[in-house]
Amino acid sequence: MTVEPAPTPAGSTTRLGAPPGPASAKPAADSDDEARARRTAQEQWVRLRHLERQLHDGAALRISALALRLGMLRHRMPSDEQQFQAAVEAIQDELHLVLQELRDVAGMLYPPLLDEAGLGPALREAAARCSRSVRIDAGTERFGPAAEGAAYFAVLGCLAAEPREGRDDPVEVVVRGESGDNGDGRTLVLLVFGVDPCHASTVHDGVRLLGGTAVTGETGLITVRIPCE
Amino acid sequence: MRVALAEDGALFREGLLMLLKAAGHEVVACAAGGDELVALLRTQPVDVAILDIRMPPEPDGGLVTAERLRAVHPELGLLFLSHYAESHYLMRILQIGTDSIGYRLKEKVGSVDVLTDTLTRIADGEIVIEPMLAKRLVERPRNERKSVVSALSEREIDVLRLMAEGRSNTGIAGQLFVTPKAVEKHIANIFGKLGLHADASEQHRRVLAVLTYLRSQRDSETSDR
Repeated sequence: MTVEPAPTPAGSTTRLGAPPGPASAKPAADSDDEARARRTAQEQWVRLRHLERQLHDGAALRISALALRLGMLRHRMPSDEQQFQAAVEAIQDELHLVLQELRDVAGMLYPPLLDEAGLGPALREAAARCSRSVRIDAGTERFGPAAEGAAYFAVLGCLAAEPREGRDDPVEVVVRGESGDNGDGRTLVLLVFGVDPCHASTVHDGVRLLGGTAVTGETGLITVRIPCE
Repeated sequence: MRVALAEDGALFREGLLMLLKAAGHEVVACAAGGDELVALLRTQPVDVAILDIRMPPEPDGGLVTAERLRAVHPELGLLFLSHYAESHYLMRILQIGTDSIGYRLKEKVGSVDVLTDTLTRIADGEIVIEPMLAKRLVERPRNERKSVVSALSEREIDVLRLMAEGRSNTGIAGQLFVTPKAVEKHIANIFGKLGLHADASEQHRRVLAVLTYLRSQRDSETSDR
């Protein structure tokens, strides 16, 4: 785990929607930050435990069962050719399911398409699996594995939640690169429109350790900025 | 059939080699990477080259290798194997060519019958797409896509999905329990609704029907704001 960076400037917390307070608000903001950092850390461990369970209850269990089925086949080899073919086919089908489950878990760790093709293709694939209507506007620019991973899972987090009651607005996601003023340091800028603005604080926690921020605008637009390589 | 094979995973490569030989195919060249295969095939032709997508030259050597092989042997059949069935790769594969080309999951070519059927269809000029992916492409409940497909009836969508798998009219008829004549009628309606006119060959229009569909989805996703 990386070392916690310098405390977030008070300004960035006020941008999250809390009204900018007088000098006395600063300690409160710090404790808010601490509470959120703790919650983020806890969620990370819950996520890891969930992934381990998914491996255990899914792929591992299927493979164990396959070992038994192969043992049965060895013990009682079907005399009938058709039965034998059916038994082998069933085992191959089961292996396909094992691989599908491993692909699911791999996708939750770090989607292979994100690594190979970048945010645009990876987000489009994710959008296509989503029941809501999602529009992705992203070029081919690359931002490095950390910023891309954080941005990808930020969008996924926003899409996972149910839309607000009675609303099924189309979601729009824009990905842009931004160069620093004096040419040094690039920033990945992510705009998410059409999701509940309350996601901004979760997204902020997810990108904070990378020096990133997430803020909500008046129109409910979430703007995420992540410094990148 | 004369085939060549490039795959960087030694275990899978050896397994596939055994299966190809068991199926009675002649494996002319077998390599751990794309560059090696291009060198091996410089002077000798094969019917189909089987390529892992994710292999050297990184990151997706299979696609680069395919383009280099096709530049030398334009008639060469190509079978891409991957651990993932993604529409992103399908689009890139179809940019390489829409004849004699296939994209399947590695674990789905694990029998002599399936492997030979896949290779034969590719050698015959067909497009072979992993059925799971074809199904996902046509059935996804996407709003943007609905606009393209909304013009098609449910039965026509079934037919388009099976076309996307690269099936023949007889194959589609068998799957849907209808006569080949009925399938022809559905396909004519699909061509009409998608605006594909009769001046192109049947095989060409089938591919265009699938591509029109895939592209419309892609265009709506990448359009500029």
